[in-house]
This record gives sequence, structure tokens and C-alpha cells, in this order.
Amino acid sequence: MKNRFIQAYQQAPWRTQLQWIGFFLLGLVIIVTVAGLYLSITAQSTTAGVEIKELELEKETLDRQIADLKTQLAILTSAKVMKDRAEDLGYIPADPSQAVYVVVPGYTGRQPEIVALPVRPEDQSKSQIDAAYRQSLWEWLFENTSRLIQTRR
Amino acid sequence: MNLPPFNRFQFIRIIAILMVVSILIQMVRIQTSASAQELPGLSSQYEYRTIYPERGNIYDRWGNLLAGNKEVYEIGVSLNEMQNQETVLTTIAGLTGADYMKMQTRIEEAKAGGVIRYVVLTDFVTPDVVAQIEKKMKEYQNLPAPRKGQVNPSLEGVYWQGHLIRSYPENELAANVLGYYPYRNRDEATGVYGVEQYYNSLLAGVPQQIQIARDPNRVENIPSVPPGSSLVLTIDREIQSAMETLIDQAVEANGAESGTILVMDPRSGEFLALATQPRMNLNNYWEILDVYPGATPFNRIVSQTFEPGSTFKVLTMAAALDSNTVEPETEFFDNGYIEVGGYYIYNWDRGAWGWQTMTGCMQHSLNVCLSWVATETGADVFYNYMNRFGIGHRTNIDLAGEALFPLSVPGDQYWADVNLATNSFGQGVAVTPIQLITAVSAIANDGKIMAPHILKSYIQDGIQHNIDPMVISQPVTTETAHTLTEMLAISLEEEASNALVEGYRVAGKTGTGEIPNETGYSDMTNASFIGWGPVDDPKFVVYVWLEKPTSNPYGSVVAAPVFKEAVEKIVMLMDIPPDAVRNALK
Repeated sequence: MKNRFIQAYQQAPWRTQLQWIGFFLLGLVIIVTVAGLYLSITAQSTTAGVEIKELELEKETLDRQIADLKTQLAILTSAKVMKDRAEDLGYIPADPSQAVYVVVPGYTGRQPEIVALPVRPEDQSKSQIDAAYRQSLWEWLFENTSRLIQTRR
Repeated sequence: MNLPPFNRFQFIRIIAILMVVSILIQMVRIQTSASAQELPGLSSQYEYRTIYPERGNIYDRWGNLLAGNKEVYEIGVSLNEMQNQETVLTTIAGLTGADYMKMQTRIEEAKAGGVIRYVVLTDFVTPDVVAQIEKKMKEYQNLPAPRKGQVNPSLEGVYWQGHLIRSYPENELAANVLGYYPYRNRDEATGVYGVEQYYNSLLAGVPQQIQIARDPNRVENIPSVPPGSSLVLTIDREIQSAMETLIDQAVEANGAESGTILVMDPRSGEFLALATQPRMNLNNYWEILDVYPGATPFNRIVSQTFEPGSTFKVLTMAAALDSNTVEPETEFFDNGYIEVGGYYIYNWDRGAWGWQTMTGCMQHSLNVCLSWVATETGADVFYNYMNRFGIGHRTNIDLAGEALFPLSVPGDQYWADVNLATNSFGQGVAVTPIQLITAVSAIANDGKIMAPHILKSYIQDGIQHNIDPMVISQPVTTETAHTLTEMLAISLEEEASNALVEGYRVAGKTGTGEIPNETGYSDMTNASFIGWGPVDDPKFVVYVWLEKPTSNPYGSVVAAPVFKEAVEKIVMLMDIPPDAVRNALK
């Protein structure tokens, strides 16, 4: 009787084998998927890293070019150059006896220059690269799990 | 194919096993490949780089750039990639002027060392030359493949990297004020002279050494290094330029050894111009020893002490008036000499000028009279006033290299009674031009001395910080300052001085200081004039100093006309209307 029940509910051997193969393949698919995901994220991160480096180099180049252009402009408008240009255009230095003074209501005279201000730098202590590009999958998982646990408490 | 179930399972099993085995083999292969062997090392490898912040700019008070930065390139070659050394060396030497042999030696040494892969060939190459190199490189790349046994010219392996160097767009203008930055030695360079030295730590910023991971998987933030602070000076470029032109002409016209003009706003202590000689093109700073041979100071204005002569009488008379020793109308009989401490003091012309008021004494610049005034004031009081005027002390102006000649006072080893008399007319006492103008500025500013300074504001982290004017002392009362100003204005008018400016009432004093030598005093002089105006509301103090003029030794002849010309330019550039116009507008 007992053997009959066992026989009635026992899987056919080929079914058991098929199940094992199915589990194995499922495990394999999961591993491959995780590995693929990891590879994809790592590749994206590396690409982003290279792009960041390129952009930083470009920023350095642009900063240098801005500084250089400021100096070039100053050379073109230097006191001697401007004086020579004025003389070429037929101007002569003003003489006090020729000056005519008029009252301009509200005019308070020439004011000292506010030199063009550079952009205020961001907080240097804070990284400007998004955490997603700096963390590994495990670091991300650990951080979010910790955060979740702390929130629950 | 119609296989029985058993065989199908077997087939799937074999396929699955093969897949797993192949994956494992591939994993082992990747992990043990030569490239993979380098990876663990790479993950711990860092490239160390020093990031030099952009050196801060220097502007004049109106925002004109006086010192900035220019882009240049370092050119190097990657030895692994270099295909034709001869082409590389010939092209770089031809286009940049770099020494062929030196570059060749560097490459050979690097090859012999076996480790270095990149060799710097030359530096400070301008962008247009780099563009030519790039053009050549492309030309060579497009050449047809060489025949067997031949080698094409090639610039493969040549790289360039940009960086900034200091540049002075105005070349010589205000050279003595700015100083310079020897950019060719970037690792150890620091500002030299002037504001470049005085404010070096502000201008330079903080270089940062960073580590950059070589592992491309490690994304790291390269810190943004803020540029050095920029400085806005009190200098007015146009006034500075005009004063430099003027002093150059005056030195040439009078056969002087050197000349100096200082323009100060007495109400704030700001200097609008500090013109002196010699000046060098700061972009060629390596020529410094040619421009300043021997002991020639880089900036006479702060670094050279000299006996000021009669301009010092302004301070003597201020002390006497303020201590109520004399009044403008106090009379003195000048018989041509006075004996002090066993020594006889004579006038500049060895003449006797008879009865003179104090205004007359200043007008005729009488040494005998001023010696009497000093003795009447008393040594203790006189030197106390000199101390309050800052004589014998540094002004602490924000320029590098300020010199000091100590003032001998009663009790000092080398002080004698006669010193009181000689000091009263500017002998036996030495000052720098900056000291004298700072002291005299008190008379033009209601008795108050403002801290002399050259920095108007600085820009740090994007914020412009202004330097507020500051009173550092009040050696005499406002009343004394006004009285003395009036006396000196009258004395110029009575004298029909060469310093008078049409339309503008000015006060001032000439100076002719004999230059001491080993045996006493030489025939050479320091001719000078110090004056301010407009008298009722002084907006400028101007000090003119001509060193060793050969056309005429007297300040009244050679320096006073320069003062007049300087003021004529200054009132135009500062938009100061003539007194009549100004008073009509009040």
C-alpha cells in the first residue's frame, strides 16, 4: 500500500532531471543577468569617467583661453596703443584752458570700477560627480539598505 | 531530428555542461591574461599632478589690466610613439627656436634610462607656433606610404600641453609698482618687487597636489582649484602714463640721473601715480641686471633714501606753528648766518635777507630762519613732531622693499646740537620719497595722515573686498594745516613761482638738497618740489624729485616747472575744474 502511494506520487525520473536542468538554467540566467547588469553599469561608469576627464580638460583649456583673451584685449587697449590710435585719428591731449565744464544733474563723477567677478566656486568639500557614478553595486545596495533600516527605526 | 526523450535530455545536458565549461574557461582566460595581470597594479596606481591656480590679475583703479596671464605650450614627445626623431627635432627646433642638441641629448638620456616614456622638448611656445606644428603634423600624416627602405617625415609622438604664464600688457608702465613674476621657474617662482612680491600669497593662490587614478573604472572628481586673488590698485593708468612721460622728458631735458613723480590723494592715502626711473619691460624680466645695473634700486620711491633739502622745511614750520612757537607774521631778522652748537649755518645763497615774516622765510627758503625756528621750537618738541610725521619710521606702504634711514635724536651717539639746525632744512636727515609725501600729506588733509596704500580692493572667491582709508595719525591740528597751506600758497604767489598753475591755487615748497660724499657735500643736488591743491579743498599732493640735474641745481628752476606740468595734466585727468568754475558751482 505504502509503495503504491509512493509510486503514485513519485515523479518520473525524466521529470526530475528536467526540473534540475530547469533550476540550473534559471540559476545560470540569473547569474548571467546580474553579471551583465554589473558589466553594463561598470561600462557606463567608465565611459562617464572618461567623459568627465575630457570635460575637465576642456574646462581647463577654456579657462586658459579666457585668461589669454583678457590679456590680448588688454594689450590691444593698452595706454600706449590707445594714445597712438588717438593721435592717428587726429586727437591731441586736452589742455585745461580749452576745457568746458558743465553741470550734469545727478552725475557724481566717475566711479571706481567693479572688476568683472569670477563665478563663485561651488562648495569644494562636496563632490560634483553624482554618487551613481562613484559607487559600486554593492556600495549602493549597502547604503540604501542601511538608510532603509535607519528610516524604519 | 526525432530523438527519444532520453537522448534529448542527454543532448541538453551536454550543451549546458559545454556552456558552463566554456564560460569557466573564458573567465580563467580573462583573469590570467597579460592585460588582467596589470589591472590589480593599475587599481592602486595614481598619477600625481600639481594644479597651479591661475595667478590673480592686477588692475588699475578703473579696471584696466596691468598684469594678466597668457597661454603658452609645453612640447614633448612620447618615445614609444615617435617614428622619426630627425623630423621631430628639426621641426621643433626650426619652429620654436629650441636648441637641437639639447633636445637630442634629452631624448638620448631618456632612451638610455629606459624608463621614461615622455620627454619634454621645449616650453613657453606660443599658440601660433603650436598651430604651425599641428599643420606640419597633418601634412606628414597625409603623405603616401614610403617605399621600401625609405622613411617618411613624421611628427607622430609629439604632444603639447597648454599652461599660463605671467604677462604685462602695458610692458613698462608702472613697472616699479607692479614688480614681476619669474614664470620660467614655475615650481619655485614667487613675486619679485612691488605688489607682485608684497601680495604674492594672495595672487598665487594655493597650488594643490592631486592624485588621479589610472584605473579608468575609478571616476574621481578633480578638485577645482580657485584662482589666486585679483588686485585692484589705486593707480590711475592714464595719470601714471602721463607722469612717466613727463618725468622721462624732465630727466632728459635737465640732464638728471633719474627722476620721480608721486601723485597722492591726501584724503584717502591712495596713490594715483608712482612714476620713476629706470623702468623695465616686465615681460622681459630676465633683463633686470641690464636695466638696473649695480646697486640701482628697482623702485626708488620706496627703496632709496636721500636728504630731501628744503621740502623738509614744511614739516619744521608745521611743528613750530602747531607748538605755538611762531605765527605766520612772526618776524625774524636774517643777518645771513646763525650759530648753533658751535657751527655756523648759512642761507642757500650765503646772503642776509633782513627782516622776514615766517611766510617770507618759507618763500625765500631761508636756512638761517628755519634753523632759528627749530631752536626756538626746542629739540624735544621738534623731534617729537618729526616722530609724529613718521620721519624715521617706515610708512608700511604695501610695496616690497621699503627702506629706512633712522632719524638721529637727542641722546643718540651721533646726534649733536647742530643736527637740530641742519635737520630743520632737510640736511642730516634722510627719507624715501614715499615717507616725505606721506608726512606732508597731513598738511593737505586737515592735519591727518592717511595710511598710504596702493591696494584699492581685492577679489577673493568672487567677492570684491574694498580697502577702507584709514587715519594713522594727526601730527598737527586742522588749523595749523590750513595756516601752513595758506602760507605756502602765498609764498608761491609772491615768488611768482614756476610751480603756479593757471586757474588753480596750489601750495608747495621747493627743495634743493646737496648730496653728501666722503668729504662732506658734493656739487650735485637732489632738486625737488612738493605741492598740493586746490588749496581750499586739496585733492592731490604731487612730489617731483630730480636726482643730480646738470642743467641747474635748484628745485625752483628744474622741479617746480615739472610740478606745474604735472598738475595741468592731473586736473584734466581727475576732472577737477578751475577754482573759479568750482566755486561758482558751489
